[in-house]
Amino acid sequence: MLKGHLDLIMLATLAAGPAHGYAVIEAIKRKSGQAFDLPEGTIYPALHRLEQTGLLSSHWTTAESGRKRRVYALTRRGRRVLAERCAVWERFSVAIDGLLEGTEPCKSPA
Amino acid sequence: MQESGMIEAYTESLAGKLNFNPSLSQRVRQEIQDHLWEAAAADPSGNGREAVQHAIANFGDPHVIAAQFATAWLARQTWKVGVTIILVITSVFVAMKARVTWYAAAQWILSDHVRAVAKIVGLIDACAFYVSVILGIAGCVYVIVRRAPTTALCASHCSRLRHLLLLSAVSAAALSVSVIGDGVLTALRVVGREFTVEFVVPIFSIAIEIVCAGILIFSVRSIVVRMVHTAALLKA
Repeated sequence: MLKGHLDLIMLATLAAGPAHGYAVIEAIKRKSGQAFDLPEGTIYPALHRLEQTGLLSSHWTTAESGRKRRVYALTRRGRRVLAERCAVWERFSVAIDGLLEGTEPCKSPA
Repeated sequence: MQESGMIEAYTESLAGKLNFNPSLSQRVRQEIQDHLWEAAAADPSGNGREAVQHAIANFGDPHVIAAQFATAWLARQTWKVGVTIILVITSVFVAMKARVTWYAAAQWILSDHVRAVAKIVGLIDACAFYVSVILGIAGCVYVIVRRAPTTALCASHCSRLRHLLLLSAVSAAALSVSVIGDGVLTALRVVGREFTVEFVVPIFSIAIEIVCAGILIFSVRSIVVRMVHTAALLKA
């Protein structure tokens, strides 16, 4: 499930402002209450892919440590796509809430 | 091994698997090094060596990560090949039409003794060009119809790109035959005439065609070579 929503998760994380890969991972962990503890290496190919599709832009900066650091930011198109996906998610969430409302929890067979 | 050596070895292993794209490989190496140093610094163990080991373990298998980068790369190459075919064929067509229009305007008529040869060459040229156009369009339609999300499995991108490259290679071969035909036809019109500034138009338009065909052949060849690296990465 997480894999299918990785793009939305990353776009939503970067909506708060530009960040580098490590900061994105930490923000995802923090904002999700540690629920989304992704394999860290999978974030970078996804960031790269989102950049290739024009949803993110990136540039090199120099960190305080003196190391080169790649910082990612949402593009205008990225913001638009995020808004669209948020709307789809809202509808999906409301629909599932409606389905689950008043439903007894599933019981395992005896 | 020192902490820096461990990070260096890990990033080298990952970057080495991305050698199908040197700029990506270099970028990933620097980016991942920064990540691993930062993750190690934030590790609660406080032990440098242990912290680096944790950071590397949390980052994951370099082979799996490299395969994910390869998937995104393959998806992009498929679009690039499609766009290159269309641009190249369009440019060759424009150069060809411009030259023919110029022949008519300048009244450069073929002499009688080469007319029969020119007819055969022209026929081969036209057939080769149509084959190239049809296959080029088929390739682009294939890319659009078999559109796969960039998150799709690498195997589907690989197969899509392989089919497109096959169509592109045959299209490029046909285009090369067409360009050679154009060269022969131009030579038949030019030979025997006194060299004037007017020669610039046919020679320049032929040069454009040769460059365009060269670009397509070079692009297809370059992607085939890189794809072999990528396929090896995905199989391993």
